Amino acid sequence: MIQIENIQKTFGSNRVLKGITSTFETGKTNLIIGQSGSGKTVLLKCIIGLLNPDEGDILYDQRPLSEMDKNTRTQLRTEMGVLFQGSALFDSMSVIDNVLFPLRMFSPLNEKAQRDRALYCLDRVGLQGKETLFPSEISGGMQKRAAIARAIALNPKYLFCDEPNSGLDPLTSIKIDELITDITREFQMTTIINTHDMNSVRTMGENIVFIHQGEKDWEGHMDEIDRSPQSKLHEFIYAGYAQSKR
Amino acid sequence: MTLLEHIGLYSLLMYKTFSVPQRWKMFFKQLWLEIEKLGANSLSITLIISVFMGAVMTMQTQMNTENPLLPSYTTGLVTRDTLLLEFCSSILSLILAGKVGSNIASEIGTMRISEQIDAMEIMGVNSANFLILPKIVAFMIFIPFLVIYSMFFGLLGGYFISLFTDLITPSTYIYGIQYWFISWYIYYSLIKSVIFAFIIASVASYYGYHAYGGALDVGKASTHAVVNSSVLILMFNVVLTKLLLA
Ligand SMILES: Nc1ncnc2c1ncn2[C@@H]1O[C@H](COP(=O)(O)OP(=O)(O)OP(=O)(O)O)[C@@H](O)[C@H]1O
Ligand SMILES: [Mg+2]
Repeated sequence: MIQIENIQKTFGSNRVLKGITSTFETGKTNLIIGQSGSGKTVLLKCIIGLLNPDEGDILYDQRPLSEMDKNTRTQLRTEMGVLFQGSALFDSMSVIDNVLFPLRMFSPLNEKAQRDRALYCLDRVGLQGKETLFPSEISGGMQKRAAIARAIALNPKYLFCDEPNSGLDPLTSIKIDELITDITREFQMTTIINTHDMNSVRTMGENIVFIHQGEKDWEGHMDEIDRSPQSKLHEFIYAGYAQSKR
Repeated sequence: MTLLEHIGLYSLLMYKTFSVPQRWKMFFKQLWLEIEKLGANSLSITLIISVFMGAVMTMQTQMNTENPLLPSYTTGLVTRDTLLLEFCSSILSLILAGKVGSNIASEIGTMRISEQIDAMEIMGVNSANFLILPKIVAFMIFIPFLVIYSMFFGLLGGYFISLFTDLITPSTYIYGIQYWFISWYIYYSLIKSVIFAFIIASVASYYGYHAYGGALDVGKASTHAVVNSSVLILMFNVVLTKLLLA
């Protein structure tokens, strides 16, 4: 379980996060949704510790991030899998070497077992046969999937995905969503996903945090969306639908 | 940023860089790659500039010492000492600052802006140690070979002049380059070059590591790296010459 308390972040005069509090439970797919520029990526980076919030704290299973020393933080990081919005694959390494990288750095497995694990992860994201290609030689969607494979290589306790299915076709999107949901349940991970894909919201939103202009506007289960009185949320959710009806 | 801030950030980065590698196997793998990338790939440019500069130096020295009072071995002796003392360490390092320095700064800078360094950090990898240490060590190990190699080809360049022009006879040239040979000059050059290698690799890494923004900023970082490491080389050259020779 990850708890965030009153997270605030300002860049210069731009108040991006204005005090966000929430709880992300284990074994559930937690979604952070909101418009482009609403601060989803900044919030996720604060949670994983890449950005330091100006105010507030993050608790990983009751352990406050701000009080961790360097070694505890490094230990925590080996338990995290992160998918960046821009994939962030190492472009000097082939696809399989990317997935092998965290294994080679931290896994106690022998070389053969590491390779098997990497191949299994690539298989789960549907990238079999692409192992030896370099990131520049595969499509954007494939890069995303390779990055997911890298993020889950070490069987993380905490999984963070920044827009896992942007740039993917609907079918692959659904597959990726299913994969994330499955592994979250199977390995009892604490998963946080940034998205503005309505399909994902409808199918995997067990806990949704809606951010509007740096504030938490609404929080709840996907089934509660229609019952909520928040007009901003409805505007956001039904924007695409309303447009297509017009 | 002020000079003091740069020095502070640089020192912090070096502190982070010089720690025990998390996995020695990965360190040696990287080290080998870097020796090839930074060292072996500099052999051809070193050969070309050394041969041509040795040739030009011989011609110019010969033309400027056509004084009957000066012994005929002057040309060989002056060419040799210039090569050994300055060209093959300082000038070569300045040229390598351009080639190797910009290579390092743009590689690390690209990794920074495309979040590859963040991805590494978030896995729990000490990115400075993993990326920078092998570069510094590889270049410091390899540069003595480049210096010796450059000395050989510089002298060979002069020999070509004695062979193919009638400015000087081969036997006079050969006699000159052997006359009053001081072996300490070679050690002096090697010591200097190792320190210059550290300057080039660490300063370039520093500018790359702290790059921020887009592709344009990576270009700027690489320019800063080349200019500033060149200035530092020139300054340290004076200090080292005072310490080692005078
Ligand atoms: N490093 C930074 N420095 C300054 N401002 C930043 C920085 N990172 C983000 N911002 C600002 O924070 C705001 C929120 O950005 P963020 O990337 O979190 O949006 P987002 O919700 O992830 O959008 P998208 O859906 O397009 O990815 C933006 O106004 C952006 O300009
Ligand atoms: Mg974002």
